[in-house]
Amino acid sequence: MASNGFLLAALFLSCFLGFSLGNIHLSSLPRTLEVTASPKPGQVLKAGVDKIRVTWVLNGTVKAGSDSSYKNIKAKLCYAPVSQVDRAWRKTEDDLKKDKTCQFDIVEKPYNPANKTAQSFEWTVERDVPTGTFFVRAYVFNSAGQEVAYGQTTDDKKGTNLFQIESITGRHVSLDIASVCFSAFSVVSLFGFFFIDKRKAKKAAAAAEASGH
Amino acid sequence: MGDVEGSPGSSMHGVTGREQTFAFSVASPIVPTDTTAKFALPVDSEHKAKVFRLWSLANPHMRTFHLSWISFFTCFVSTFAAAPLVPIIRDNLNLTKVDIGNAGVTSVSGSIFSRLVMGAVCDLLGPRYGCAFLIMLSAPTVFCMSFVSNAAGYIAVRFMIGFSLATFVSCQYWMSTMFNSQIIGLVNGTAAGWGNMGGGATQLIMPLLYDVIQRAGATPFTAWRIAFFIPGFLHVLMGILVLTLGQDLPDGNLASLQKKGNVAKDKFSNVLWYAVTNYRTWIFVLLYGYSMGVELSTDNVIAEYFYDRFDLKLHTAGIIAATFGMANLVARPFGGYASDVAARYFGMRGRLWTLWILQTAGGVFCMWLGKATKLPIAIVAMILFSIGAQAACGATFGIIPFISRRSLGIISGLTGAGGNFGSGLTQLVFFSTTKYSTDTGLFLMGIMIVCCTLPITLVHFPQWGSMFLPPTKHVEKSTEEFYYGSEWTEDEKKKGLHQQSIKFAENSRSERGRRVASAPTPPNTTPSHV
Repeated sequence: MASNGFLLAALFLSCFLGFSLGNIHLSSLPRTLEVTASPKPGQVLKAGVDKIRVTWVLNGTVKAGSDSSYKNIKAKLCYAPVSQVDRAWRKTEDDLKKDKTCQFDIVEKPYNPANKTAQSFEWTVERDVPTGTFFVRAYVFNSAGQEVAYGQTTDDKKGTNLFQIESITGRHVSLDIASVCFSAFSVVSLFGFFFIDKRKAKKAAAAAEASGH
Repeated sequence: MGDVEGSPGSSMHGVTGREQTFAFSVASPIVPTDTTAKFALPVDSEHKAKVFRLWSLANPHMRTFHLSWISFFTCFVSTFAAAPLVPIIRDNLNLTKVDIGNAGVTSVSGSIFSRLVMGAVCDLLGPRYGCAFLIMLSAPTVFCMSFVSNAAGYIAVRFMIGFSLATFVSCQYWMSTMFNSQIIGLVNGTAAGWGNMGGGATQLIMPLLYDVIQRAGATPFTAWRIAFFIPGFLHVLMGILVLTLGQDLPDGNLASLQKKGNVAKDKFSNVLWYAVTNYRTWIFVLLYGYSMGVELSTDNVIAEYFYDRFDLKLHTAGIIAATFGMANLVARPFGGYASDVAARYFGMRGRLWTLWILQTAGGVFCMWLGKATKLPIAIVAMILFSIGAQAACGATFGIIPFISRRSLGIISGLTGAGGNFGSGLTQLVFFSTTKYSTDTGLFLMGIMIVCCTLPITLVHFPQWGSMFLPPTKHVEKSTEEFYYGSEWTEDEKKKGLHQQSIKFAENSRSERGRRVASAPTPPNTTPSHV
């Protein structure tokens, strides 16, 4: 019985402990990639319409052969600090498993160490991107799918070279019209019933009086 | 037991101290059956049903039950429809945590006022039109979601949709016109619990609709707006069904309403006075804010919480969140049942202890939920929390009928309003600021539940005692008749206006628990035939 109690207590207590051994942290990754994006600083792009051209290349000052483990590159659209204020669901965490800074994938491409030229990709800003201020970051993965390096269009403090995106409203004229029609139907049918009912009640009362009740 | 139509408290007319015995039917010698009436169910002299046959759709009694609880369910669905879709809406409208929290507060605040007005509306137009008016006039507010483009619009629309929760009042009122007072407790408890389930069902329905609409080709920011049309259609559909299939009274509609029996209309100011000056009223207003109130708050935050903290897909978070609200199916009736069982052995003291245990347990599990970092633990904690809070709601209404006989309607209304107020308050303090993350907010809410449940130790009935004190030894004050009689002045007693209270007092002697047999005959009891 005592061991049962101990196990139960241990189980209860274990939920208060958080383990995060073995997760990769951004601060441990070398910034070996040079990433540039076509939007100028402060430019406002329209979601669904405008395009972003992302270009990445290995930094020339990096030791030769350090990119031997690089297998593929994933470029992502990331929130700038100003768009993270009061929004804990976009919080930056050093632990990459918990980090929520970069929520939109731009492109995933394989990395060829032999090809030293800059690679680029043109991406139309998707229609589920919210209004905000952004930058682009590219992670490099090894064959095990772990991040081994990264690069981004802004500085370490994420203050320079940021651009803005304006989301679609999601509204449509057809939706607005349908909304008004159904609302009108609801109100009209309610009052219609009410007045028809009242008239019936009056007729019934008049008939009851006429037949001498 | 001729109750008077239209007098204050009559929206709970027929409610006695015997509510929560959870009888499914009333046997004939207790309430005689009217054999001349041609209804599918046996009825009493007022043609109210004596039997609660759940699976029947018999007109008018059971049909009314189903129309009524489904209308209330629909309003819960639309009031909390935004909650599981917040992860999408917050990106579309560029909301901050404060905006989301404020919208949650306003969604429960509107009904504080609409519930107070609804009682009067039901008295004037009858429950059928009361329900239909509310549900069909709030349909446009649901459709309005398609126009919303910023935080202010979102908050305003959620406020307006929240008014529809007043269908609770029309639901309870309508039940009391159709069902005999001996079974009204179970009927009302079932209707309220099943209606509350809407808050859970919506967490399942809305992400599912959103998924289907997205697959059909809509972009996320349009799909959630289209999804809102479904609750809107339900409003219109239920409104039409209520108008075409429903009727106010067993014998017909309000136009044929006649006043029967003594027309002893009670003055509203008196009824309000006795409600407001009874300290127990305010303790229960506070307590209900931390059982029903935290249930409503959790309905608003739990889906987003699971989505963000455990990185789940939207519809997975919705399924988990739904189990919270759906527990109402059994948890609320269980609370009432537990209260009744405790009363059988320990009387009112048992009821008080039951409520304290259930509500405090709910608070402790809420604290555990806030601290949980692993998904299975969080789910277990959430389910236990839901059972504790919802059973406490059921147990609360096992005690409310005994606080006062004269002012029962107003006390019930105030308690209900307290639930919504508590919900608005907890959302404002814990979930609308960036000071606390949602998990910390849940932990602190759990602590607040435990603390705000402590005042129940102060509730003392002279004739039955309190949690820690036995009933008073004073011979006269220890009678039920004295307690319920003290709500009437000597003048009113001379006019015999307090007769129903005395009858209620006799019925309530069961709240002494096992001591009933040894209850001494009170020396100055007003004889029942004056």
